[in-house]
Amino acid sequence: MDIKETIRDLQDFYSLSLSGLAGIVRRPFYFKDAVLQMDYAGAGSLLIVFIVDLFVGMALSLQLSAELSSLGLKMYIGMIVGISVVRELGPVVTAVVFTGRVGAGMASELGSMVLGNQVDVIRVFGFDPVKKLVTPRIISSLIMLPALTIIGVAVSLLGGYYIAVYVSHQSGSFYWSSIRNILTLENVLAGAIKPFVFGYLISCICCYTGLSTKGGSVGLRQSTTKAVVMSIAMIIISDFLLTRVLLYVLGFSV
Amino acid sequence: MIVFEKVYFSYNRREVLKGVSFSAEFHERVAVLGGSGEGKTTILRLIMGLIRPDEGRIFVDGEDITAKRENELREVRMKFNIVFQEGALFDSLNVKENVAYCLREYTKMSEEEIDAKVRQLLSTVGVGQALELMPEELSGGMHRRVSLARSLALTTPRMFLYDEPTTGLDPVNADRICRLIADLSQNGKGFIMVTHKVSDAMKVADRFIFLKEGELLFDGNRQELLNADIPDVKFFIREMSPHGPSDAK
Repeated sequence: MDIKETIRDLQDFYSLSLSGLAGIVRRPFYFKDAVLQMDYAGAGSLLIVFIVDLFVGMALSLQLSAELSSLGLKMYIGMIVGISVVRELGPVVTAVVFTGRVGAGMASELGSMVLGNQVDVIRVFGFDPVKKLVTPRIISSLIMLPALTIIGVAVSLLGGYYIAVYVSHQSGSFYWSSIRNILTLENVLAGAIKPFVFGYLISCICCYTGLSTKGGSVGLRQSTTKAVVMSIAMIIISDFLLTRVLLYVLGFSV
Repeated sequence: MIVFEKVYFSYNRREVLKGVSFSAEFHERVAVLGGSGEGKTTILRLIMGLIRPDEGRIFVDGEDITAKRENELREVRMKFNIVFQEGALFDSLNVKENVAYCLREYTKMSEEEIDAKVRQLLSTVGVGQALELMPEELSGGMHRRVSLARSLALTTPRMFLYDEPTTGLDPVNADRICRLIADLSQNGKGFIMVTHKVSDAMKVADRFIFLKEGELLFDGNRQELLNADIPDVKFFIREMSPHGPSDAK
């Protein structure tokens, strides 16, 4: 690995991430582009987020039911499902789905624009490619990933409810009261901050790898794969770091 | 005037241009000839400031553009109209939206005015009927003509830059593009056309530059090109003219 090139890549990545973020508050604004991206990222991802989160919630509830019934602790299903989904699984699973659908799309779209000289055309016309292409995607991820996460969490809890009530024969009202009890400010905050961080990371990584595409269709395949792999790795790593920091800040004892 | 002073450029550690020097007036009709990967397109990208040379200097209208920042290059770029190979249309927008792209961003024209301007530009390049088509529905020749209309939408350039404008086109469409290039180069507006099709270059250009492995091997007019006693140039003209040098004439 060429160290100089790695350092230059990192510099370029940080520069793109910061100027992309600064573009949110600096003129000119490309609202129409941001709305188009939001439609693609949000409305377009709803079904897949719904399906994946529903089954994750059901699988989690099923596993807990199997383990806790042998200990006679099935009444804790709601509480454990709630904490796991709100704090951890909901944000992470939704972010991974978002990477697969929206992040890969960003990288391949921008990559093909680079290869087709469309990014050069944007520069020739006097637009800043970061403001025109990256900032709308950052805005869309910062708004849509948290929104999708809320929906994903709700669907996961519903999936957990279905298994707890119809398979594990627990009381539905007890399940929901357990969920209500764990929806404290600390728990909600512990889960609510993550999608903003994940959204920013996914959009920056995928835009950067897309815009650095070189070398035809093979290069496009490599940059799309790199974007997805790096985003998922960063989601998992940053999730751990965020969990560590948030547990400390929000006063949980470990 | 464009001046290249001992320009070096490398890509992925491969030297693409090795000390290229030449100058061209805005009114000149120049064809840059050479095989694939010889650095022809790199010259256009350097003129537009899309890439920077490793060494050497490039002057446009007396200004050194090699040290200019991205936001300072806009003024330089407005002096040219570049048509990229394959047209480089935005594939998520239809023909009308592609041509109207800059008009919407930079002017305060009403929708009716934009519509009229787009129609006028498209009919200038002979694709007035393609207004609602998407780029993937266009033929190669239409792609390039729409791209030309789009670049004409905002600026009145001093010079045109064409990157392989006829490559991949059938003879009829290639001829149509050549006529369009010739028409647009009237009124003292010249062009630099990068191509490996000698016969097309002969139809429109007055001056020819030949590149081989990043070095400028030849710079001269039509007659000098045909009489050039440089083996690489002679070989290229013979190979790239469908019926030999007589075809090129």
